[in-house]
Amino acid sequence: MKLRKLTAMFLALIMSLAVLSGCGGKTNDSPDSNPSATGNTQGTPAKTEEPSSASAEIVWAGWSGEEEASKDIFQRMMSAYESSSGNRVTWVGWTWADTAQQLLIRSQGGEQLDLAQVDIGIFNTVAAAGILADWNEILGADYMGSTFEQSALDVGSIDGQQLGMPWSMASISMVYNPKILSAAGWSSVPATIEEFEQCLADIKAANPDVVPYAVSTKDATCAGDFMPWLWTFGGAIFNDDGSVAINSDAAVACVKWYQGLMEKGYIAMDTGRGEARQLFAQGKVAFYDDAVVAKGQAVSNGVAPEDVVNVCSAMPRPVLHAGDKPQSTMWGHMLVAFKNSAHQAEAAGLAQTLISDEVALDYFKNNGMPPVTKSAAGLDEVKSDAYLNGFLNSTATARLEETARMSNGNEVKTILTEELQYALLGQKTAEQAVADMASRLQAL
Amino acid sequence: MFQKTRAFRTFFWMALLLIGLFVFFPLLWMVNTALKPSAETFSSYFFTGPLTLENIWHIVTDEKIMTYLKNSLIVSFGSSFLATAVCSFAGYSFAKFRYRGRKFVMGMFMMSQAFPQAILLLSIYALMNRTGLLGSYWALLISYVVFTLPVGTWTLKSYFDQIPDALIESAKIDGAGHWRIMTRIVFPMAVPGMISIAIYGFVWSWNDLLYSMTLVTDTARRTLASGLVMTFLGEASTNWGYMMAASIVSAIPVTIIFVFLQRYFIQGLTAGAVKG
Amino acid sequence: MDGVKNGGRLTDGQVGMLLILPGLAIFAAIILYPFVDAILMSFTNRSMLYPNYDWVQLDNYRKVFQDPYFAKTMLTTALFVLGSTILPYVLGMLWAIVLNQGFRGAEFLRGVTLVNWIIPGTAIGFLWSWIFNGQYGILNNILSALGLLESGIPWLGQTNTALLCVVVARTWQMLPWYMAFLLGGLQSVPLDQIEAAHMDGANNWKTFWCVILPGMQQTAVLVFILGLIGNLQHFDLPWTMAQGGPARATTTLSIEVYTTAFKNWNMGKAATIGTIWAVLLACFSFVYLRRINDSE
Repeated sequence: MKLRKLTAMFLALIMSLAVLSGCGGKTNDSPDSNPSATGNTQGTPAKTEEPSSASAEIVWAGWSGEEEASKDIFQRMMSAYESSSGNRVTWVGWTWADTAQQLLIRSQGGEQLDLAQVDIGIFNTVAAAGILADWNEILGADYMGSTFEQSALDVGSIDGQQLGMPWSMASISMVYNPKILSAAGWSSVPATIEEFEQCLADIKAANPDVVPYAVSTKDATCAGDFMPWLWTFGGAIFNDDGSVAINSDAAVACVKWYQGLMEKGYIAMDTGRGEARQLFAQGKVAFYDDAVVAKGQAVSNGVAPEDVVNVCSAMPRPVLHAGDKPQSTMWGHMLVAFKNSAHQAEAAGLAQTLISDEVALDYFKNNGMPPVTKSAAGLDEVKSDAYLNGFLNSTATARLEETARMSNGNEVKTILTEELQYALLGQKTAEQAVADMASRLQAL
Repeated sequence: MFQKTRAFRTFFWMALLLIGLFVFFPLLWMVNTALKPSAETFSSYFFTGPLTLENIWHIVTDEKIMTYLKNSLIVSFGSSFLATAVCSFAGYSFAKFRYRGRKFVMGMFMMSQAFPQAILLLSIYALMNRTGLLGSYWALLISYVVFTLPVGTWTLKSYFDQIPDALIESAKIDGAGHWRIMTRIVFPMAVPGMISIAIYGFVWSWNDLLYSMTLVTDTARRTLASGLVMTFLGEASTNWGYMMAASIVSAIPVTIIFVFLQRYFIQGLTAGAVKG
Repeated sequence: MDGVKNGGRLTDGQVGMLLILPGLAIFAAIILYPFVDAILMSFTNRSMLYPNYDWVQLDNYRKVFQDPYFAKTMLTTALFVLGSTILPYVLGMLWAIVLNQGFRGAEFLRGVTLVNWIIPGTAIGFLWSWIFNGQYGILNNILSALGLLESGIPWLGQTNTALLCVVVARTWQMLPWYMAFLLGGLQSVPLDQIEAAHMDGANNWKTFWCVILPGMQQTAVLVFILGLIGNLQHFDLPWTMAQGGPARATTTLSIEVYTTAFKNWNMGKAATIGTIWAVLLACFSFVYLRRINDSE
């Protein structure tokens, strides 16, 4: 009797295997026949234990290599490294918004990951997962100290460990289209909020089809745009001790101001960074907030790199009272290496190629990414660049986003975005929305 | 089926016009946009201005999109094959065998699509991770089978129900074993049903975004649904011309399959379902 | 396979069990184990960020039920599920009736209709978010060309229209699916019964309700239930079109679970919402199972 049951079990196993192998043949050999240039990492957790003497295959992850504006440069970067080192680089890319999630999934899944591009907004989240390696151990503290300014290193340092290597650093600033402004009679940029509103009104009057200010009102960028305005009004999300500070008159005033802009048609719903960039490139937006990468967008839309400054210039964010410091948020990309990587040395080699003067200058010229190494930042081409100077002048006082040092920053931003949307859609008063922000943040 | 009264004719033409417009206009607009040169993307002409294959060409020559397309085909064909096999076995078992727990298992299968997928994902992810399948085609292939399990088992069971027991009995008397009866007598009679289930499973796998976004992180294994999101939902790239071209290119292979198999699909799905 | 050929030694019941094993194995791996795991997870504070976690008893449940937006999420889900089942169901039925008339080109139309269903949901999301876009959307263009509109409406940017937009897109996507099933159902109704009804003087309307619909009742009900369940699970369109916004207007349960787990890293809370969802689903499933048993 028992024997029969056993046979039955055995047969079942065979049958299941037969079913599985039926399509197994089809899928298993396909990776090898994959002609794609993206290279080939095996489906199972890649433990390519080749000694580093032979050529190694390393995985570099991020988002810019996916984007139309920077795709080609990333190819050049990788081939520069490949030809000098003899190693092979496989690029694994996602959207900017998915990067934190995909990095965590991938590293927890034990899949190969050697170097990654990380935005400072998600840097802390990724670092909190305890998967990042210390650059001071890989390249040595001396090298790091002699290559970068201390202020740049500080951004990538957590609890004394240098988990992020600065790659590009600047700020998110207000960007404007000088042509639209002059068509509306503005030869200089508005300096105070009062002037700013007047300017928006003039632009709207001169050209009703233009969205005067494409501030982000949806997705992950909405809260990012809201923060510097909140600071401009004198508010903050958190106090220094980490307690919630959003429930303030300043925050209410800021939300009310947003509501006012919406009523007058100066800003629009259903606008994210993507829409803003696209409309801006078509000359249908006068102002919006963006990082220096705005240049890459303009270039990929057909503007010559040296003409960018004529249609896309940075300006200091208008202030509440004349004489206040203009607010802006710190923006930057870092390179991170991984604890579990079998190729930390090669990853470091790739990182060094990326920050080398030659590559950094190429990246800077085409995408506007400001180099951070002492040597590259000192190059004449960089120092004399009108476009970048606009950014640097307007961002002298840039601050880290208040959520940048939190591992649940995304949740905080979601709450701010949702409540701001309620207020903008007239479903809540400014007071109510701010009070709800506060109570939801406190409940976290 | 209906008397061609005046009222029916009015209804017929109204429905044909309105639903037809609703169904086909967006589709045509998609084609229209894909064919416009990029400078004209936002002009409102409808096939009446300059048209070009530039966008389509851009997508067809984009190695990444082609990789996604290939991955989608592999995963969808694989899981549709797997699902059809699994559902056929199960459907046959439910229709022609009697054993303890049969109804219970059937009920479970039927419910398998009702469990919240987003939440199953967390543990599927952990499981695939532990078994080393994470990031491979297998992770998706196996997960997609459950999309088809309820409808597939039920439809095929209805097919097998219609096969007279006497036919199977007489084969047994002739000395045929279970495997032989199944593959030579029973399964051939349900081929239309199997085809429709295969198509059903194919489309589900083809369309899935949630699992493919999470179980596969590699560009080289990514399927179309998540590949399109990763390519076009990015902050920087909202290129509608490319997007529409990519949508069309991605629909073409399946459309070709459909043109040949749609008749089986529609008949096969329900022929078994309604008895008598 | 040799063993199976000699399967004479196995009883019929055992062969039957063998046959369901592949399905059962996949079911156990992809549904049962993850589900049990999720229930356990709902009592922990597991996060995607950290490998370690603690048991927190009912904390997650308390948090979910105290969440001021939870009821709204349920309502949104209900509206979405009902709207995007009933609308394409009715349209799919009408379209099936039209295509069943057997005019020249009907078969062609039927084939082309199915294209909507096979375009990846993501692409459909793109297409419709463009149609509904407030700045350069096609719908606004058409409406203003017809003189019905002064300035553009941001369809996806308003709470009262965003969900409707997603439902319309979902309807467009799924109409062919309903059409295919219902057309099969229509064709399975015996023609002589219909003709007999007409002979008795029943008009089209009456024939439809009293003969055709009852004749295809099994299909009709099954399709409806499958539609409800499919929409409850649905994720692609609300995600690609609106990411659950604006102001949570398109946040359905499946969006909420996804965001909680994979954007806010809170797996414990996500599992809790999922568990509550599954409990609610038991109602649906009960009805559904009854149908299966009836058909025995």
